[in-house]
Amino acid sequence: MLSVKHIYKKLGNLKLCDINFEVKRGEYFVILGPTGTGKTVILETIAGVYNIDKGNIFINNKDITNLSPEKRNMGFVYQDYLLFPHLTVKENIVFGLKARRASKENINNSLSKICKTLRIEHLIDRKPNGLSGGEQQRVAFARAIITSPEILLLDEVSSALDPNTKKEFQVNLKNIHKKLNTTTIHVTHDFNEARFLADRIAVMIKGRMCQIGTPEEIFNNPSSKYVADFLGNNNFKFGDGENVKSQLL
Amino acid sequence: MYFKNYKEVLFKGIIGFFIILLSTFILLTIAVVLKRSLPELWESIKDEEIQFAIKTTMYTSTIATLIALIFSVPIAYGLAKYQFPGKGLVNGIIQIPNSIPPIASGIALLLLFSSEYMTALVTKLGIDPVFSVKGIILAHFFINAPYMIRILKTTFEEINPKLEFISRTLGCSIWGTFFRVTLPLARNGIITAIIITWTNTLGEFGTALMLAGSIRMKTETLPVAIYLSLSGGNLNKALSAATILIIISVVGLFTFEFVGMKKRNKYSD
Repeated sequence: MLSVKHIYKKLGNLKLCDINFEVKRGEYFVILGPTGTGKTVILETIAGVYNIDKGNIFINNKDITNLSPEKRNMGFVYQDYLLFPHLTVKENIVFGLKARRASKENINNSLSKICKTLRIEHLIDRKPNGLSGGEQQRVAFARAIITSPEILLLDEVSSALDPNTKKEFQVNLKNIHKKLNTTTIHVTHDFNEARFLADRIAVMIKGRMCQIGTPEEIFNNPSSKYVADFLGNNNFKFGDGENVKSQLL
Repeated sequence: MYFKNYKEVLFKGIIGFFIILLSTFILLTIAVVLKRSLPELWESIKDEEIQFAIKTTMYTSTIATLIALIFSVPIAYGLAKYQFPGKGLVNGIIQIPNSIPPIASGIALLLLFSSEYMTALVTKLGIDPVFSVKGIILAHFFINAPYMIRILKTTFEEINPKLEFISRTLGCSIWGTFFRVTLPLARNGIITAIIITWTNTLGEFGTALMLAGSIRMKTETLPVAIYLSLSGGNLNKALSAATILIIISVVGLFTFEFVGMKKRNKYSD
């Protein structure tokens, strides 16, 4: 489905080094790492914000490295939701469908369906300014998925929520993913969230992907001291072939 | 507690003092002109020369503001959003008219458009600005476009680039994003830029005087009418022209502000 191959990108002090990973169709892939490690930049690179210095991105074996964002068919939800402040909730949600010149009937059907799924029917005539964090998030989510994107990119989407709302959102997210089966790449620094949602997790430290595996593999068998330290695993023991430090420097 | 209150009162008192002082000074200055000329204003408006000056002022200011807007939006957007070699230099060059005296700009423009090649070119295009109304528009544009670019550049810089990016991921092209997201979000800044540019051009005198001259009933704007009337010793006419200029500026300012406020209110519930 998605294949990211040997990506290098320098952005100020941030450096992505030889990023390699593949995401299967319908998979929920979580990129887990500390703040400031380049997780968001990876998402933005996949979505087409930046031109990469080196490497390629493929979707279904088609090279999309130089494709503009509007031609990549991806949905993106940022941490701060970023609803268009000059539009109503309804206008925000149908923005993508209108940009694709969908028919009025299609727009109305999709709108009512998505609003029902996310329980935001009562909000559609309001402006984003008056919405709570949780409501804004659901609207941003609706806006991103209404166009049926091939890949959904989520950037720390639950980090601004209170613990109760967060838990509820994670459960909803899992249910929606099961229902829609949209390939999802979710960036977070929250271990519990990653463990709860992910089919596979990639641990990213200092601009490098250090380990990719199932939640069990990542949390039970960290591949290096850096991954173990980040995950708070104090029982890590050095093996004979340990040379990850040299990879990281 | 008392000491804390005393400091707070002093702090706010100083702010209030300066606000009141400046507002009074401005109102007093305007009131002096209005008091003297208002009783004869209607008679002055019926004067053919004043009517010509009003029309020329409104026409040149509006056209110059529109042209400045057409140039300023793409330039300001480019300077705000893109990085390119020599950006600082370009920014500096564009702001030069802001830093040189208007009268010097006027002489420079006059020299440029009096040169042989330039004269041939603008005559061929039918836009010769020397000693014509086109010259007033050109002078207004030259002086005021940099102000407009500065305001719009700040406006565009304040728009979160991620909003534009989200629009792109939703399927909007770079053009669609500009018209559906960037411009609506920049609306308040654009309105402010139009107000400032338009009111500035109403009173702009030095540059236009050099390039377009002060020809009665030909290149006569309200500031030129004030200048010509004063030179001819006709103080009443000068005051009437000044009063009309003040009224147009204030009405224009409040109209734009009112429209801007209505648009701003539309953003919130």
